[in-house]
Amino acid sequence: MNGRIEVEHLSKTFKKGNVQAVRDVSFEVEEGEFFAFLGPNGAGKSTTVQILTTLINATGGKALVAGHDVVKEPDEVRRYIGVALQETGVDPDLTGRELLELQARIFGFNKEGSRKRSVDLLDIVQLTEDADRRVGNYSGGMRRRLDLALTLVNEPKILFLDEPTTGLDPSNRMAIWKELRRLNEENGTTIFLTTQYLEEADSLAHRISIINRGEIVATGTPKELKSQIGNDLITLTFKTKGDLDRAEEVLTRSVGEREVIVQNSKLTIYVDDGAQEMVEIVRMLDQEEVEVDSVNLSSPTLDDIFLKITSEQQGKGGEK
Amino acid sequence: MGNSVWKDTWLITVRNIKTTIRNPFSFIPNLIISAFFLLVYEGGLSGIAQLPTFDGANYLAFILPVSIVSAAIGGAGGAGQGIVKDIENGFFSRLLLTPASRLAIVLGPIIAGMLQLFVQTILIICIGFLLGLKVETGFLGVLFVLFIAIGWGLAFAGYSAGVALRTKNAQASQSGTLIFFPLIFLSTTFVPYELIDAQWLKIAATINPTTYIFESMRTVLIDGWIFWDMMQGVIAIVVVCALTITFAAVSAKKAVARG
Repeated sequence: MNGRIEVEHLSKTFKKGNVQAVRDVSFEVEEGEFFAFLGPNGAGKSTTVQILTTLINATGGKALVAGHDVVKEPDEVRRYIGVALQETGVDPDLTGRELLELQARIFGFNKEGSRKRSVDLLDIVQLTEDADRRVGNYSGGMRRRLDLALTLVNEPKILFLDEPTTGLDPSNRMAIWKELRRLNEENGTTIFLTTQYLEEADSLAHRISIINRGEIVATGTPKELKSQIGNDLITLTFKTKGDLDRAEEVLTRSVGEREVIVQNSKLTIYVDDGAQEMVEIVRMLDQEEVEVDSVNLSSPTLDDIFLKITSEQQGKGGEK
Repeated sequence: MGNSVWKDTWLITVRNIKTTIRNPFSFIPNLIISAFFLLVYEGGLSGIAQLPTFDGANYLAFILPVSIVSAAIGGAGGAGQGIVKDIENGFFSRLLLTPASRLAIVLGPIIAGMLQLFVQTILIICIGFLLGLKVETGFLGVLFVLFIAIGWGLAFAGYSAGVALRTKNAQASQSGTLIFFPLIFLSTTFVPYELIDAQWLKIAATINPTTYIFESMRTVLIDGWIFWDMMQGVIAIVVVCALTITFAAVSAKKAVARG
């Protein structure tokens, strides 16, 4: 048993509709590492989590979780992992305490032990006051926190969290982030987190893999990934299609075609120092008599990283 | 770490009993309908017991099995409803993510459904006694009726759990319980076989296993210990249970399979 995840050439094709949800995905997560899978809806994040947590079988490849093969030894894997799926798995008719005690007993705790464990976990996720209310009366954020507590019952070596903060308000999101950081730093729990939010992966993870259409397209530390894309991005819009085309031509010539992307009649440029380069770009376009409608300077978001990576995947920085 | 299948089954069954008790509207309407059957049919139809075919039998004893079986079928449908609810609110996945025995995860709701049925049947028999029911074979006969009711409930619980696991959808498994109507009414529901007029209904009653359930219950309630007449109900239960439990097991295997 160890706290590692090793994935080799994992694939999953769903028979229904012949959808290839995961394509030849390989990666490793070290013991104690905080690892994030970053990608849009339908990228294959949830499918990967379901395979690694023994809920579904892959159609190809191999995965070891906590040193055990997810297909051959599912019960061993289940013992050492904690899983919070995208949809919380709580029974609305039981109380928070009852759910935790049931979960503990299923994991082999005796009555007394399950009681103690529940008290501790309720305290950790700050649900002590609401412990004896039925879960059906909990708010969305409380359910999430209870769900997280349920995943911790067996003191997992590896924690899988599938979009744990999607749909949460900022204060609940912060509470979950704080607890995940604590688990990772104090207990050395390995964490595998999926998210759509760059900001979340950026602030929590040691290492990020970006997944798109079932494939890993980039892997690195948050810093490495962001430096690939440039620190800032400048977005320009134009009154006419003619101006847009002219601007693309002019700017491609001056900054290199990799950095200029045209999409939805907007032109985006990735740069290192936005404030300074914005002035130069506007001046350059003015000299060429291209009429600019608006200019916007911002930090890269997940959308931008995707736009960049997918446009690169298609060979040339052009129409998507 | 890790439990036996029995301990897991026990834990999950207890949880299902709790959720049933906390949702009284999951079983109260069913109980009321069954009591209603008993009162209305006894009140409205008991006169036909004067017919010679009834041989002086008490109509209350004749109609009681209808009420019991309708409660059994309705109650057993609850097992499927419970599973669908668990699938929809994600609790089913939460259980699948633990090392709990896969068998226990499916057996829990079925056993809880059985116990619910047991209590319901006792209540209906009590109402029968309040209305003046007399049982030819006494207390042991009542036990036999309970046994048949639970056996038939198990057969139907297997069916409803199977539909639930297969469709994973509340509406679909709700409409699966529509089979309730032909099962209850295309049979010797109100009058003995000899008094059924329409030929098609006679054929339906012969095919319908519920007929044999009714008849075996009526045997102990009205006629006494007649071995072969009692056995037809037992055989019907064994045959139908074999079919529906297999269906449930296959559907369960699919539902927990990771394909």
